[in-house]
Amino acid sequence: MTDPLLSVRDLAVEVSTRRGPARVVDGVSFHIGRGEALGVVGESGCGKSITTLALLGLLPPGARVAGGSARMEGKDLLTLSRRALREVRGGRIGMIFQDPMTSFNPVLKIGDQLIEPLIYHRGMLRREAWARAGELLRLVGIPGGASRLDNYPHELSGGMRQRVMIAMGLACEPPLLIADEPTTALDVTIQAQIVDLVKDLRARLGMSIIWITHDLALVSGLVDRVIVLYAGKIVEEAPVDDLYARPTHPYTQGLLASLPTLEGEETRRLPAIGGTPPDPGRRPAGCPFAPRCPLRVARCESEMPPLVAVAGGPHRAACWVNAKPQELAA
Amino acid sequence: MTMPVTLSAAVEPDEQVSLWRDAWHRLRANRLAVFGLCIVVILVFVAVAGPWISPYDFLSQDLEATNQGPSMAHWFGTDDLGRDVLSRVIYGARTALLVAVVVTGIALAIGVTLGAIAGYVGGRVDAVIMWVTDMVMSVPSLLLVVVINTSLKPPLSAFMDARYLATHNPIWRQTIWIDFVLVFGSMALILWPPYARLVRAQVLSIRNRNYVTAARALGLTPGLILRRYVVPNALGPVIVAVSAGLGTAMVLESAFSFLGVGVRPPTPSWGNMISDGLRVWRTYPHLLAAPAAVLGLATVAFSFLGDGLNDALNPRQWRK
Amino acid sequence: MTLALDTRTTSRDPAVTPRGDALISIIGLSKHFHVKLGAFGQTAAEVHALDDFTLDIRRGETLSLVGESGCGKSTAGFTMLQIHKPSAGQVIYGGVDLAQLSEDRLRPYRRKLQVVFQDPYSTLNPRMTVGEAIAEPLLFHGQATRGNITEKVATLLGDVGLSPRFAMRYPHELSGGQRQRVVIARALACGPEFLVCDEAISALDVSVQAQIINLFQDLQERYGLTYLFIAHDLAVVRHISDRVAVMYLGRPAELGPKRAIFSAPLHPYTKALLSAVPEPDPARERSRKRQVLSGDVPSPLDPPPGCRFHTRCPLAVERCRREVPAWREMAPDHFVACHRVGEAIPVPDAA
Repeated sequence: MTDPLLSVRDLAVEVSTRRGPARVVDGVSFHIGRGEALGVVGESGCGKSITTLALLGLLPPGARVAGGSARMEGKDLLTLSRRALREVRGGRIGMIFQDPMTSFNPVLKIGDQLIEPLIYHRGMLRREAWARAGELLRLVGIPGGASRLDNYPHELSGGMRQRVMIAMGLACEPPLLIADEPTTALDVTIQAQIVDLVKDLRARLGMSIIWITHDLALVSGLVDRVIVLYAGKIVEEAPVDDLYARPTHPYTQGLLASLPTLEGEETRRLPAIGGTPPDPGRRPAGCPFAPRCPLRVARCESEMPPLVAVAGGPHRAACWVNAKPQELAA
Repeated sequence: MTMPVTLSAAVEPDEQVSLWRDAWHRLRANRLAVFGLCIVVILVFVAVAGPWISPYDFLSQDLEATNQGPSMAHWFGTDDLGRDVLSRVIYGARTALLVAVVVTGIALAIGVTLGAIAGYVGGRVDAVIMWVTDMVMSVPSLLLVVVINTSLKPPLSAFMDARYLATHNPIWRQTIWIDFVLVFGSMALILWPPYARLVRAQVLSIRNRNYVTAARALGLTPGLILRRYVVPNALGPVIVAVSAGLGTAMVLESAFSFLGVGVRPPTPSWGNMISDGLRVWRTYPHLLAAPAAVLGLATVAFSFLGDGLNDALNPRQWRK
Repeated sequence: MTLALDTRTTSRDPAVTPRGDALISIIGLSKHFHVKLGAFGQTAAEVHALDDFTLDIRRGETLSLVGESGCGKSTAGFTMLQIHKPSAGQVIYGGVDLAQLSEDRLRPYRRKLQVVFQDPYSTLNPRMTVGEAIAEPLLFHGQATRGNITEKVATLLGDVGLSPRFAMRYPHELSGGQRQRVVIARALACGPEFLVCDEAISALDVSVQAQIINLFQDLQERYGLTYLFIAHDLAVVRHISDRVAVMYLGRPAELGPKRAIFSAPLHPYTKALLSAVPEPDPARERSRKRQVLSGDVPSPLDPPPGCRFHTRCPLAVERCRREVPAWREMAPDHFVACHRVGEAIPVPDAA
C-alpha cells in the first residue's frame, strides 16, 4: 500500500473522573489512504468522537491525550503547537459536526462565516473570499447559490445549514474531511440528500473522508472500509463488503443482527444484545464486550484480545473465540 | 450469523451514588470551590466564636499604643484609638455575616415568592411583577439606599430620643437598631429582583420539561406537580445565586458603611474600618490593608463556592 | 389486567357511540398553535401542526405513525391524549369525547392512556428516585397503599426487566436504556389500555434499541396493550406494526396494513420515505436506485395550498396545487390522499 494520508498509532485519551483517570480511547490504531473513505462506527461513549477531537487538538477540558501518534503529511498531529494545529484545522482537515444549528454563530451572516477560513488559511482578500464562498454554496447544491451568503443561519433549514457546514469544511480544499454524525439531527429524506451530496463531492474532489456514525446502515454505501469501536477499543476493522458479509466480532454480529431492515424476514422480535455498554470509568479488565458476549470464555474476562487478521485479508478482529491469533507466530 | 436473545435476566444496578454525594464529589474535585468553602467555614466559625477567640475587646482603647504596626501582641496592629485591629476585624466578620445572611434571606423570600408566582401564573400577573422588578433594578442602588437612609434616619432617631426622654427605658438608646433595620431593609429592597427573575426563568423552563408533561399525562394535580416536580428542580440555580449573593451583600454593606450610611461606629464593620483606614493609609497602611484583605478574601471565597456549586449541581455539564 | 372502565358509568360525560372494534376513534382532529412573530409579537400566526385527522385505533393493535419532523405525528399523539387541547375534532374513548372534558373530569381517563417520551433523560424528575417516580401515580390514583407499594414497584420493575434494587436509584445513575425501562414501568403502573410511544427508542444506543423494541412487544402480549407507535425509522416500524399511517405536514398521506405500505406503497411520499431508508448491505445499497426528494418540508406556518406534498412531489400536476386530495380507500383497509393514485397513466415506480 502507498503512503497513507493519516496514520494513527496506539492513540490513548484519558478523561478525569471522580474515580481517577479513565481511558476513553485505548490503543486505537488506524490509517486512511488518499481518497479513501473510512467509516467509524460505534455507540455513544465508545470514543469515536473523542478520537477525532484528539487528532484536531480539540479535546474538551478534563480530557488529554495519554499516548500514541497521528502522522499526517510528515507531522505528528498530537505534538503540534497550537499555532500549527490551527493551520491543520480547516486548512488540511475539514470538519463537519452533528448539530448544524449550534455549530454556527447565529449573529453572523453565513457568508461572513464561510470566508473566515479562506482569509485565515488562504490569505484571500475579502472580495475574493466572498466570490469563492458563493462558488462553494453552488458546489454543495444550495439553491440560489451566492445570493444566500447574506442569509443568517436561522433563515436556513436544517438540511441547508448542514450543506453550508460541508461547504465550510471544504472551503480550503483539505485532503481530509472528518464528518462527525453529520446527519443524525436530520430527517431521513434530508439525510439521503446529504449522503448523496458527500458521495458526489468525493467523486469530484477526491478527498479522503472519515465518517463517524452510530448507524451501520448509513455508511454502507458511502465508505470503503469500516472500523467498529466498542468502549474505546477497535474490535473489528474490515472493507465494508467483508464486514457485512462476514462480521467476525460478536459485537458486530449482534449489531448487524439487531438492525431492523426493510428487506428480508419480518420478525416481530429482534435478536437483541443484552446489557448496556460499560461506563468509561469501570470497564472490564479483559475484552470490554465480554460481560454482554454470548460466546465469552474465561480468557475474555482477563485479557484483551489483539486485533488479528481474519482469513488472511485486510479484515481484522479482536476476539479470542472468533479470531484466533497465530500464537506460535507471535 | 445468529445471536442468542438475551433479555430474560433482570438487570442489576451499578454501585449506588446519590445525587448529592455525586455533587459533593464534583465540588471536592474543584480546587477553587474547596478553597472558597474552607474560607467560608473559617469565616462562619470566627463570626460565631468571635467573643471567645478575639484577643481583645473591640472597644477597649489603649491610648498609649495607637496606630501600631503588626506585632506579637497585636497581629494586625492597633488603630488611632489604640484598639486591636484583629479583634475589630473578627467582630466585623459578625456584622458582615449577619448582614449577608439576613439581607439575602429577606431578598430571597421576596424574590422566590414573586418569581414563582410570575412564572407559574403568567399573563398579566407576570407582566406586573416583572414591571416592578425592572423598575427596582433600574434605580441606581446606592442612590436608593442613601435616599432611604438620609430621609428616614433623622425622624426615626428623633422618635427614639423622644421615647427615651419619656420612658428612660435604655432600649431606646440602642440606636444601633435603626441602623440595622434601615440598612438591612434597604439592601434587601435592592437585592431581591435578581432572585425573582432567576426563579421566574427557572419555573418557566421547568414547566415545559418533559417530566412535568409526563406528570400531567399521569393525571397528577397542578399543586402536586408544582410541589414535587417544579420547585425542587428550580432550587439548584437558586442555591448558586444565594452563595454568590452573600458575597455581594457583604460588599454592598461595606460600600454603605464606607459612604457613611451603613452600620455606625463603634460596632466594627469592615466597610467603616476601610473608610477610616483610607484617610491615613499613607502613614498606617495596615489599618486599610487588614479589613480590605479580609473583605476581598471573603467575597472571592463566596464567588468561588458559588461557581463550584453551579458546576457541581449541573450534572448535565459533565455528560457527553 | 382488567379492561373494565369505571369511568364509563359517569353519566354527565358527553356520550358518543364508538365505532366498530375501535378502542379510540379520532374524528377530524386538528391542532393549531398560535405563535407571535416579530420583535414585539405584533403579527400573530398559526402553525398548522395537525389538520383534519381521522383514524380508528383498534383494540390490541400497534399502529405506527411515521413521517418527518413537522409532519404532526407527535402533535397527533399529544392531542389524542389531551396533553395539547385540540383546536377541533373529537377523540372518542370509552364512549366519551375526551376533547369535551375539563382537566378534572379527564383525570380518571389519564391513567388508562399513557405516553412514553423520546428522551428518557428528560422524562424523569431528577430529584426523585426510580421507586418514588413509579410509586407516585400508583398512590395518587389509589392503585396501591403505603403498605404494599414497595412490592408493587418491585413487580413493575420486574415487568420491564429491572432488578427491584433499582428503586433506590436516581435517574442520573442509569443508562439511557435503563431509564427508558423505568419510564415504561411508570406508564404501566396504573394499568393503561393505550400507550403512545413517541419516538420511544430513537434516543437510545443502537445495541439497546432492539431490547426495548422486544420489551414493548412482550408487554403488549402480556397486558393486551394497544400502541400508537410514533417513529421516523421505517425499518423499526416494519418490525413492530400492524398498521402504518404516513403523515406529511400535518395531514395523513396514507394508511394501510403494514404489508401493503411496505410492499405496495401508493403515495409518492411513502415511496420516497422508503427509498431514503439506509440499507445495511453495501452491495444492495450500491445497486438500488434511490429516489431522493429534493427540497425541504415547507413551513407549517404557511402550508402550501392543495396537496401539501405538491412542492416536492415528482408527480405533481396543476390539480394538486389547487385541490386538497380526498381520503380514498384504494384497497380494503388501505387509504391514500393523492389525486394521481389510480389514474390511468402508469405511475413510475421510484422505490
